[in-house]
Amino acid sequence: MYRQGDVLIVSVAEEAVPEHVERAPREPRDGRGRLVLALGEVTGHAHAVVGPGELVREPGPFGPMLLHVPRGGRVVHEEHGTIVLPAGWYRVIRQREYVPGSVRIVAD
Amino acid sequence: MDDVNEWRSYAASAAPADRARAEAGVRLAYRLAGLPEPARILWARSPLEGVRTVAGLTDAGASVREAVRTRPWAAERRRLHEELGPEGWPARWSATGGRLWELTQSLVDRIREGVLEEIGRKESARARLILLDAMLGQHDAPWLAAFAADRERVDGDSGSADADGRSVLSGGLESPASGGGTGRSAPGDGSEPSASGAGVGRGVRGGAPEFPASGSGAGRGLSPGLPKSAESADPTDGAGRGLPHSGPGYPAPADGAGHGLSDGGPGSQAALPAHPLAGLAEVCRSAGWWWAFEEVAVVCERPVELHRDEAGRLDRGDGPALAFADGFALCAWRGMPVPPGFLDELRTLVPQRIQAEENAELRRVMLEFYGYERYLTDSGAKPVHRDETGVLWRIEMGIDEPVVMVEVTNSTPEPDGSRNVYWLRVPPRTRTAREGVAWTFGLDASAYAPLQET
Repeated sequence: MYRQGDVLIVSVAEEAVPEHVERAPREPRDGRGRLVLALGEVTGHAHAVVGPGELVREPGPFGPMLLHVPRGGRVVHEEHGTIVLPAGWYRVIRQREYVPGSVRIVAD
Repeated sequence: MDDVNEWRSYAASAAPADRARAEAGVRLAYRLAGLPEPARILWARSPLEGVRTVAGLTDAGASVREAVRTRPWAAERRRLHEELGPEGWPARWSATGGRLWELTQSLVDRIREGVLEEIGRKESARARLILLDAMLGQHDAPWLAAFAADRERVDGDSGSADADGRSVLSGGLESPASGGGTGRSAPGDGSEPSASGAGVGRGVRGGAPEFPASGSGAGRGLSPGLPKSAESADPTDGAGRGLPHSGPGYPAPADGAGHGLSDGGPGSQAALPAHPLAGLAEVCRSAGWWWAFEEVAVVCERPVELHRDEAGRLDRGDGPALAFADGFALCAWRGMPVPPGFLDELRTLVPQRIQAEENAELRRVMLEFYGYERYLTDSGAKPVHRDETGVLWRIEMGIDEPVVMVEVTNSTPEPDGSRNVYWLRVPPRTRTAREGVAWTFGLDASAYAPLQET
């Protein structure tokens, strides 16, 4: 389990990855060739993975996103230290905040 | 900038409208719909002024929204449904418009509410209808992003198309005459729409929308969802694969006349038919909301101020978060609408005033604006719990539920060596700091154990 600001990256055993993920569409890379885990709307700062890998939106309990870095990867952000991920699958969770009657995501 | 971010930037633009480009886009949209161009194009400084302008029109003729937007929009969506299939379309949406939809639509809803509030109850029925007839210009970006994502697909097919790297929806803006009468191309490779043909009304998966606005209170016209009558009037019947710019697959405008349009890109010499949504895309790139009537089009300027937080919500504590040149403005704090006078009061807050506020939502805004830390200091609060994840605080709020927060320190130091402290509100039942931080990631306290934090 790794945390970079408001994003938590949780290791998932390969055998636990749902079967349908193999056929699921992959998220496109951004203009800089990165896999964007979370994007700041105003600054454009992003929690992003550089290097080989795949990102899949996953509505189930392993969601909301699954990251696969078969050769490991680096998670970068303009305002946070880089995190080095060992090879494998990861669940990517965005931090949220309690608001009476609802929840809202955290603006990092 | 990738394609989606380009559309994102149009949706969030607060630059003055590029009026020449917008007007050219409006005229192109009429021509692509097979209509004569409007005799007049009027400008409004805001959606509010736009509604009032439309309400005052006496010689505008009938609305042509159906022909200009609804029908080509439905046709394009149907084409994509058929081509991409029941799994491909949700995937397309998720990778494109879905990334922009929620924030853009919430802004649209908020503007609509603001217009109705300004107009007042007496005139609101009429204003509501006018708002339903609006096309959204810059705020049509999510759908246009989804429609435009064909670029990679067509690059290999269409030769000169997109050679200039512009979006697939960039149509030329020259007059039909200058296009050399290229007119309609043959219907592509002759392929017919897929036999299933049931793209319209098909269920969705994974949250991708068939009609994303359904249930959100958006009505006809404001919703990308389209009435069945529009679907049945799909003019793409019989068209093959769409090849933006290059013609095959895109039908001619409804009148069948030649509307060949230069691609318009630098160095492009070929006269190519425009994408059916090229006019709408041009307005999206260059202006705000707009209305189309037989004789007149009314186009709105973009806002002069737009302040949002990192999550993209309207957010400003010292003035309107969204403002237009005519003074029409919306105030909001982290997405929550607040009355304009309320912001003035924020500057003179004291804890007693916060406690006395009866509206729970405004009280929350007051507390956030005042600052949890300051409030806790001023009110002499003591931490409830402390561990390696942070500090848990609790503020009793009388008959309302208590405010419980975790105080967390950023792991990555600032350039000056200091570390940012931030506060996250957690459910009132939270008993430990770890439980609170774990909750913010949807985990149980026992499951939250990062190996590394930055």
